[in-house]
Amino acid sequence: MSFKKIATASGLALGCLVSAQSNAHHAFGAEFDANAPLTLRGSVTRIEWVNPHAWFHIEVTNAEGEKEAWRIEGGTPNTLLRRGINKRSIAIGTEIVVEGYQAKDRTNSANGRNITLANGKKMFMGSSGTGAPDDGADPGR
Amino acid sequence: MKIGKLLPTAFLLSTLVACSPSEQATPLTEAEHGDSGTFKLSGDVKHIMQWVLDPAAFGVWNSAGSIITSAGTRELAPTTDEGWLAVEHSAAVVAASGNLLMMPGRVVDEKVWKDTALGLVDAGLRAQTAAKNQDSDALFDAGGQIYRVCKACHSVYVRGENAGGLP
Repeated sequence: MSFKKIATASGLALGCLVSAQSNAHHAFGAEFDANAPLTLRGSVTRIEWVNPHAWFHIEVTNAEGEKEAWRIEGGTPNTLLRRGINKRSIAIGTEIVVEGYQAKDRTNSANGRNITLANGKKMFMGSSGTGAPDDGADPGR
Repeated sequence: MKIGKLLPTAFLLSTLVACSPSEQATPLTEAEHGDSGTFKLSGDVKHIMQWVLDPAAFGVWNSAGSIITSAGTRELAPTTDEGWLAVEHSAAVVAASGNLLMMPGRVVDEKVWKDTALGLVDAGLRAQTAAKNQDSDALFDAGGQIYRVCKACHSVYVRGENAGGLP
């Protein structure tokens, strides 16, 4: 089997989404739009501290004053732990600001890059090497 | 491991490997069938990923961790012997997948590919031990190790839109 064939086949396999919690098995480019950066401010309603990605759910008030539920994909728990974020770092109800990229299907789902806590502390919440844009958020790049 | 535990795993693995949807699996060339005469590849790498490894990996990942809401924290670890056995089966399939990726016809190169596949075997075995011991923390860590192996492999071998590979 050729290298190219392997690469293509493996890439296609990554598109296979297996849902459970908010888990998904994909590369950045398969689900998120590098041309759709966004900034969300909202209060944390749910944290999924799971492999292969942690997910942070927040309630956002939109420009019309309506409440919207968003789910933000973070890095792996191990990655987050190394940056000082554990599953108890952000209490439910805490208001945070998330910078990231919206899902290609324009659902209220995003890949998180930076997270800013109420005290102003800003941290990279993503994973390196996922194919996300080189936007300066990842200190490892 | 007891034979009684091995049999369901072997059955699951054989079922998954044999279940080859023609519209999704790439037909193999004669060379890709392997030349030992002792086995016949049932599908390509994509087939293994989609039908064997992915479901098994998520069987491990979905069985460790926490869901935190205003109502409290729900741990995902199994609470019954049957639940732990199911995770043990998934972990065994992850480990076996590493060997499936090393079969002639699937191997891409002799060094990185094989090292990574061996890493998958190790990670799967670690998860299997954790499940057997009903150790949720160890299972969570093993799940992270499985992901790191997946990511390391995809960072080398996956190209195009899915470059960078994984979640």
